[in-house]
Amino acid sequence: MSASRQDAIVVEGLARAYGGLRAVDGVDLTVAEGEIYGFLGPNGAGKSTTVRILTTLLRPTAGRALVAGHDVEREAAAVRRVIGVALQEAALDPLMTGRELLQLQGALHGLRRGAARERGEALLDRVALQDAADRRLGTYSGGMRRRLDLAMALVHEPRVLFLDEPTTGLDPSSRATLWDEVRRLNDDGTTVFLTTQYLEEAEQLADRVGIIDQGRIVAEGTPDELKARVGDPVLHVDLIDPADAERAAGALAAHGAIRRRGDCGVLVQSALGARAIAPIVRTLDEAGVEVDAVELETPTLDDVFLAVTGHAATAEDAPA
Amino acid sequence: MTGAAYALGVGAALWRRALLEIARVRGGLLPTIIAPIIFLLGTAGQFDRLSDLSDFPTSSYLAWILPLSCLQGAGFAGGAVGANLARDIEQGWFDRLLTSPAPRPLLLLGPVLAAMTRALLPTTVILTAGLVLGVSLTGDLYGLLALYVAAVGFAVVAALWGMTLALWARSQQVGPLIQNGVFLAVFLSTAYTPEVLLQGWLATFAPYNPTTYVLELARQATVAGIEPSWANTWPGLLALAGMGLLWGLVALRLLRRFSR
Repeated sequence: MSASRQDAIVVEGLARAYGGLRAVDGVDLTVAEGEIYGFLGPNGAGKSTTVRILTTLLRPTAGRALVAGHDVEREAAAVRRVIGVALQEAALDPLMTGRELLQLQGALHGLRRGAARERGEALLDRVALQDAADRRLGTYSGGMRRRLDLAMALVHEPRVLFLDEPTTGLDPSSRATLWDEVRRLNDDGTTVFLTTQYLEEAEQLADRVGIIDQGRIVAEGTPDELKARVGDPVLHVDLIDPADAERAAGALAAHGAIRRRGDCGVLVQSALGARAIAPIVRTLDEAGVEVDAVELETPTLDDVFLAVTGHAATAEDAPA
Repeated sequence: MTGAAYALGVGAALWRRALLEIARVRGGLLPTIIAPIIFLLGTAGQFDRLSDLSDFPTSSYLAWILPLSCLQGAGFAGGAVGANLARDIEQGWFDRLLTSPAPRPLLLLGPVLAAMTRALLPTTVILTAGLVLGVSLTGDLYGLLALYVAAVGFAVVAALWGMTLALWARSQQVGPLIQNGVFLAVFLSTAYTPEVLLQGWLATFAPYNPTTYVLELARQATVAGIEPSWANTWPGLLALAGMGLLWGLVALRLLRRFSR
């Protein structure tokens, strides 16, 4: 197996079995340097097990993985030097303060005391926790803990950042703050491997998405590529007069596949998506058809998930 | 940063973290002091006349039992470090340490250093209680040093034993087992009487229990019949080294297998 210079993560045939259960079952994936890769799947799909293997916490039972060019099994220490990890549960000592935890993390990564202090202050500013820095973690909200967890993962300026369900259980505002921070990190050149069960999160953040179900990757591509697999966007055209429906359907046939919906509705499926709205309205105007409303329905990753797995991506706590 | 400076930095950081618990959990160390003191008072009260026996090496039973209580307190303090590791594993904190590039043995070094520090408090408080109750330091400075070496060493052994169980079970449920181990190690020895007065299976077992020799080391401080000497010291040091090495190696082996 060889990693290209641009590949931050290369995984081939990765598997992990617990007795007879194959939690990860032959995963292949590649993440380019500087990319945000969304690893999407429901609870128990194998996301966290994959992350635990890639972060050297768990050994694979088959297959291999390279992170920043280092084999996760044979060069685990080298992998640990270049990765930052924020695991699913933000495991933070409730007796320590935010500042103390950042300094401890700095020491673990070999920063001298002064450098660790300086880096810690910069990160506290970055995640907007300076005011709470001397409070014990036991007093932090869920969002604050996640932000501190992220800051701790960044202490040593990792090349590859693993975020395992970073926004699970957060309110919409905290989630949006964390998303902004992930984008900023990525703008700075950090590769991000992000697992999530939230389709919206993958859609918002990821350059590419891998969908994992029952330990296997069942689809992979950019969000747009994946959505294109389940079909073109559909324009819902509502007419004022039901008597115009036939005429409208005939006139719009040139714009895409046509279906009728109810007495006053015509559906036009067009690869142009939003760009088809103006020509459609113009065509109907020229045909003398009065339009009540035009609405665009684009496929979502929800549709993709349903199409490739045969079941919905259920999340107990979906984002608002 | 050199390897040694890095190792020192990591060990110190983890040590500091473990010590914060003493400072921030008020009364956290009380059980390691109160239980041994109650034991000290209760046992001395019940068995005081044992020291009248001709083969007893001191005329004060309290002086005989005091080093045992000190070891008990130090052992409980060390065992608590193991229980804390089990908590860290269960709550995910240990994963954070494992994803850091710190060499694995350093992850155990911090808690061991903490165990050594934590042991000082119960040892000192229990010893002071004994002195207030009339026990004399017959072994002078050498004996006192021997008592502290025994207590701190026993805390290290208890911490390594506790961490071994924590790494094996990966659950806080192992806590009582850790302390039971400390309890058994102490009481299946010459805890109550000298070896010559032991009877039955305990007389057979106690000489094979390394804690017997650690107690001998500690008793140089307060037992007039066990004079401070190298002959009374080296078996205890060897026992501590042996137990520490055994549990240290097992803990390291379990740590290396932790990600399997």
